[in-house]
Amino acid sequence: MSNPLHKKHDFIERSILSALAFLKDATLSEEYANRKGFLQSLDPRFKTISFLAFLVTAVSLKSAILISPLYVLCLILALLSRIPLRNFLLRTLFFIPLFSLFIVLPTLFSVVTPGEPLWSFHISGINAIITRPGLDGAVLFVLRVATSVSLVVLLSVTTRHSELLKVLRLFGVPQLFVLTVSMCYRYLYLFATMVENIFTAVKSRVGVVSHQRHGQNVVAWNIANTWNRTTQMSEEVYMAMLSRGYTGEPRLLSKFNATPKDWLWLLSAVVICAFLLYKGYSL
Amino acid sequence: MSDIIFEVKDVHYSYLGKFPALCGVDMTIRSGEKIAVIGANGTGKSTLLQLLDGLIFPDRGTVTAFGERLLEHSEVYEKAAHRFRQRVGLVFQNADIQLFCPSVREDIAFGPLQFGVAEGEVNRRILEVADVLDIQHLLERVPHQLSIGEKRRVAIASVLAIDPDVYLFDEPTAGLDPLTVRHIIDFIVNANQRGKTIITATHDLHIIGEIADTVYVFGRNKSIVRGGSSESILNDRSLLESNNLIHIHRHHHDGREHVHQHLPLEPHD
Ligand SMILES: Nc1ncnc2c1ncn2[C@@H]1O[C@H](COP(=O)(O)OP(=O)(O)OP(=O)(O)O)[C@@H](O)[C@H]1O
Ligand SMILES: [Mg+2]
Repeated sequence: MSNPLHKKHDFIERSILSALAFLKDATLSEEYANRKGFLQSLDPRFKTISFLAFLVTAVSLKSAILISPLYVLCLILALLSRIPLRNFLLRTLFFIPLFSLFIVLPTLFSVVTPGEPLWSFHISGINAIITRPGLDGAVLFVLRVATSVSLVVLLSVTTRHSELLKVLRLFGVPQLFVLTVSMCYRYLYLFATMVENIFTAVKSRVGVVSHQRHGQNVVAWNIANTWNRTTQMSEEVYMAMLSRGYTGEPRLLSKFNATPKDWLWLLSAVVICAFLLYKGYSL
Repeated sequence: MSDIIFEVKDVHYSYLGKFPALCGVDMTIRSGEKIAVIGANGTGKSTLLQLLDGLIFPDRGTVTAFGERLLEHSEVYEKAAHRFRQRVGLVFQNADIQLFCPSVREDIAFGPLQFGVAEGEVNRRILEVADVLDIQHLLERVPHQLSIGEKRRVAIASVLAIDPDVYLFDEPTAGLDPLTVRHIIDFIVNANQRGKTIITATHDLHIIGEIADTVYVFGRNKSIVRGGSSESILNDRSLLESNNLIHIHRHHHDGREHVHQHLPLEPHD
């Protein structure tokens, strides 16, 4: 049908579904964490600490030349951990820095960052000049964001989320909180699946969601229903926990195994950070 | 008598005070018995198992376990609760609810850890139950991303790791392929031979002969219509028929349509 309203609907529907699929894939799948690669083989505690050190270093360095080795390191680690470079670059370079670019863009121009003009042009009567310090600042900023994002993505993609949660617990976060987070995460997955199912169910019942009003009603009813289902489910989950001896303070497995390789890795990480920070300080 | 495990007397239960789920149930379960509770959907089977597991409490009537009455807020119960939970394990109808840990390994470990079992022993048990239920390859997976049959095995493993004296199974074979059903039946029979008491809720008549010596039939009035040995119940066609427990087949034979019912023990024709 050539009804523009339909087209719009189709578009929104497809975007929602693909956004959901992306969310599930990006945050909930543990595909890369299960591969056998370098970062996957490290003890999650050591990995987390070393990545925190890199992150702090990347954020505090004030020179693009010094940050770039860290970024290169990320790419090498991604390769060693069997993450396809294209996929990795897509996740980091494309998605998140896109937002930061909006913040950086204004600082390029002389109004915000005055200095030696590099290149000027006219947009609808306004004289815009890109300045040298402006560009340098932008490069530094983008590189810093790209590196930080790469580090976070690397850590989260190569570590099973259950292990990340365990590390949280080791760093002094209360067990109950950790368990709550892990259950929220579970509900998130369930929720995403439910929304997908509801979408399909509504479609199969109303054909194409042609009758907008009706479609909306069904969706609204389903959202309420989903809410009820989740609250009832959490009660039942609580019963399941009780049934297996839960008394208020859950006890969970805590075993991690650190090997000499982990210590070696941590040492190298510390040396790299210290060197970069020293260079940055003496510059 | 000391070998009585559960004594259920005139139990009534309703959800939110208005949806009756059990109306006057009596039963006595002894140590080492194999019991099946059968009935159509909504006849209160799951409710009964949750009462037996001390998760909900009757509005009227009493449930006594190991000689002590199960009560929600009694000090005796609070103290005995931990011990009770170690002795009775429930495999929920909905495995999604039963599995709440971030990985299969941790889900299996959850029960034993709550009972203060040392980590070394817990790790040993994880490997042992994973071997029994053939889920070694799933240990690092996220439970809610498994298939229904895999989830069911993990749910059973998580209870097996506690090593209770009494197993309560709620629809252990619903929605599973024949081979997995076979494994689960074998598991139940095996556990019973090791002296475990087994109580299974199901509406699958085909498995009853193997998993139960005594069968209770729940009716639409949400109470026990009949209890007896599994043969006597399975041979009572009119009882099963009037309780929605018999398949009715309709198919064509030489161009003539024909309808017949069948009992689990009869072959299809
Ligand atoms: N959470 C609930 N809130 C309200 N009513 C409920 C709830 N759970 C069960 N019921 C009602 O209690 C009755 C018994 O339910 P129960 O789940 O025990 O049946 P069941 O025999 O296990 O059924 P099925 O074979 O479908 O699992 C049903 O009529 C049902 O509608
Ligand atoms: Mg049920």
